[in-house]
Amino acid sequence: MPAGLTPPVAAARSRLSDRQKDLIQTFAALGSLVALVAAFSLTSPAFLSLGNGMSIGLQVTSIALLGIGATVVIVAGGIDLSVGSVLALAGVVAALCVKELGLAVPLAMLAGIGVGGVCGLVNGLVVTRLKLPPFIATLGMMLIARGLALQITGARAVSGLGESFGELGNGALLRLVRVGDDGFPEVLFPGIPYPVLLMAGLALAVAFLLRRSVIGRHVYAVGSNAEAARLSGVAVDRVVTLTYVLSGLLAGLTGCVLMSRLVTAQPNEGVMYELDAIASAVIGGTSLAGGVGTISGTVIGAFVIGILRNGLNMNGVSAFTQQIVIGLVILLTVWIDQLRNRR
Amino acid sequence: MLDGGDDAAVPNGHAIDAGRTPAGAAPLLALSGIAKEFPGVRALAGVDFNLRRGEVHAVCGENGAGKSTLMKIIGGVHAPSAGRLLYKGVERRFASPLEAEAAGIAMIHQELNLVAHLSVAENIFLGREPRRGFLVDRHALRAGAQACLDRLGAAIDPDAPVRGLSMAQRQLVEIAKALSLEAELLIMDEPTSSLTEQEAQSLFRVIRDLKAAGVGIVYISHRLDEMREIVDRVTVLRDGRHVATDALAATTIDQIVARMVGRALDEKFPERTSVPTGDVILEAAGLTRAGAFRDVSFALRRGEILGFAGLMGAGRTEVARAVFGADPLESGTLAIEGRRLSIRDPRDAIAAGIAYLSEDRKAQGLAVTMPVDANLTLANLGAVASRLGLIDAARHAAAAQDYVDRLGIRTPSLRQPVRLLSGGNQQKIIIGKWLFRDAKVMLFDKPTRGIDVGAKLAIYTIMDRLAARGIGVVLISSELPEILGMTDRVAVFHRGRLVRILDTARTDQEEIMHYASGFGGREG
Repeated sequence: MPAGLTPPVAAARSRLSDRQKDLIQTFAALGSLVALVAAFSLTSPAFLSLGNGMSIGLQVTSIALLGIGATVVIVAGGIDLSVGSVLALAGVVAALCVKELGLAVPLAMLAGIGVGGVCGLVNGLVVTRLKLPPFIATLGMMLIARGLALQITGARAVSGLGESFGELGNGALLRLVRVGDDGFPEVLFPGIPYPVLLMAGLALAVAFLLRRSVIGRHVYAVGSNAEAARLSGVAVDRVVTLTYVLSGLLAGLTGCVLMSRLVTAQPNEGVMYELDAIASAVIGGTSLAGGVGTISGTVIGAFVIGILRNGLNMNGVSAFTQQIVIGLVILLTVWIDQLRNRR
Repeated sequence: MLDGGDDAAVPNGHAIDAGRTPAGAAPLLALSGIAKEFPGVRALAGVDFNLRRGEVHAVCGENGAGKSTLMKIIGGVHAPSAGRLLYKGVERRFASPLEAEAAGIAMIHQELNLVAHLSVAENIFLGREPRRGFLVDRHALRAGAQACLDRLGAAIDPDAPVRGLSMAQRQLVEIAKALSLEAELLIMDEPTSSLTEQEAQSLFRVIRDLKAAGVGIVYISHRLDEMREIVDRVTVLRDGRHVATDALAATTIDQIVARMVGRALDEKFPERTSVPTGDVILEAAGLTRAGAFRDVSFALRRGEILGFAGLMGAGRTEVARAVFGADPLESGTLAIEGRRLSIRDPRDAIAAGIAYLSEDRKAQGLAVTMPVDANLTLANLGAVASRLGLIDAARHAAAAQDYVDRLGIRTPSLRQPVRLLSGGNQQKIIIGKWLFRDAKVMLFDKPTRGIDVGAKLAIYTIMDRLAARGIGVVLISSELPEILGMTDRVAVFHRGRLVRILDTARTDQEEIMHYASGFGGREG
């Protein structure tokens, strides 16, 4: 047991290397991201354009938003398989609120997000009160939420939602447009899309919460050792429930963003998105055993997945091959992480 | 339940081959110049060691001295960086524990290696199940396991799942497993650390049998007092180096301790400075939970150290956990400083000023992946956070550093994950966590289990200082010298009942054992 036999001198050395290891790991993920960008810019000239950057940003948004929720749940020792279905349910609820109840778009979207939160709350209560394993609890919710979404829409897409419904997904901040001499508008600067802003803001907020707040510390403690946390006076059940609620709210928000981009609510949207979310967390260094993980890592993980998809697309690689590549990337990154921890 | 010394003398089940070569000139095992380096750590530097057949050879040293590494090299877990290993006169290099096992070397681990969901018998024969064709021969499996357990005098059902067993019972299963291997060389790493006096005695009987049959045993223990019973020679390691090897008869415990720590330790227990005052801080009356404990009443005074003595399963831990709210209480009342308490959850107990330091540090006491500072402040984050629940990094670090300094926690930094620290330092972190919480009553459940002499003394000193500050301390211990050396009064438990409270100054080991064994109590 190397732990027991760390004499002070060697320990002083290992402190440095511990810190270095953290740095190396952060930069390893970042480095592979940079390498991907470099490789794709060489193989396809259009890759490094502003327009493509924008579309990558938009693609990554949904993975990252769900990934943030997944990270918090996994750090606390759980797993949430329901987010793909919950986002569909939340999106169609928002759309139906506009179309059937005539609610204003912001209110309708809040309702959608609220539905996501309720799904998360149910997940949390099933895990903490009924004591079902998180895998099973959220697997059940995955089927229930998808079924509800299909049921209330009759399995049909909800369209004709009006332009304002598309604002959240398609709008941008600081968009500069000039009407040219020929009467056609010319885009000087496409602006920063609202979804990208949302993702950045929420990533910062949740990262801050995890790192600096009491509740964040409790999340890590519960995931690291739930019994020790309980015996230290942490309200374990409340913390666990909260992580599922956060994941559900983020899924609800993701649903609204996705449906808004299409200006159509699809009850079949988001199938298998939970796996992208979990993959981004894992690529970013979150341990499925709980207690370990960061939001910054997850955001990098989300970009790795997004850029791989985009870059492979631009190089004409088939969707099937893309799946194979992403699967291999997940295995490789987790293997590297294991090596680092095994020492 | 643990009597029957006559049975144990008869090797049953798997008789040890009496015709095995008797102790010859060549040692069973000879190590020379063994070195082992881990990245950044030199665990062993040129250690020589040999073991004869039929000998018990103790290896002593503080945590971090390299004992465990040396054992793991013998047992095939680690390969040495340098040096030679001769086993039965042949140079060997075991690539895995399986290879060492096949050569007749078995290891009893300090950290228990059992599969919780399998039965005792299945664990004992894991990977070596007796077969009938494709199928496990359940009858032979059970009979073989029963025989090993009988040899140990352990009253454990071979069909019971391991997850329902206590730490001590698991330890016995681990030992039974090693016995079932019929090894020629046994490595025992702290085998008695969670055993009661009686269980330890039956283990020693088995060890004497094995010795007589020519088995060589490497024995690691922090309990130096028990060596007299079985050990022939002692090797002391310090900082990965070989310090001395002597026949036990030619040395003294004091000498061994002095060599281990590199200086003379005058005493094993600190001078008690605290004096219990009259006022009661914690009062328990009629505590009961069916099947665990019944009608337990005691009063703990300010500044007092009250010992909980008793055999394994006597209900001491269960009472402490119930007082802390970790497990439910069916009836009985608790009061702190005269105020009645209703405790349903550890949070209620913590709010009332009660702290519980569990026996199993890694499973219940520490968030092992988290750093030192986060563990120190975990029970009282509110004290270093704003009203909005944001942690003040500077105050947080200052508080953690304060306890690291005060308790002498040896860590390279506040950010070091606690799993990388030694047992003694981990225990200090748990104590620090409750000091930071300003606990009024601290329940210590076997706080010195598996930690070395120097660290033990430090923990005892801290306990004394806590009592001197007016904290009421409960010390649950299975080591009677510890109870006698540290407490003011002793509450003796037997089968879920508090049989008698004795004045420590006016009692002795015999009297405590007498009550703990169920004699002379109110009932048997």
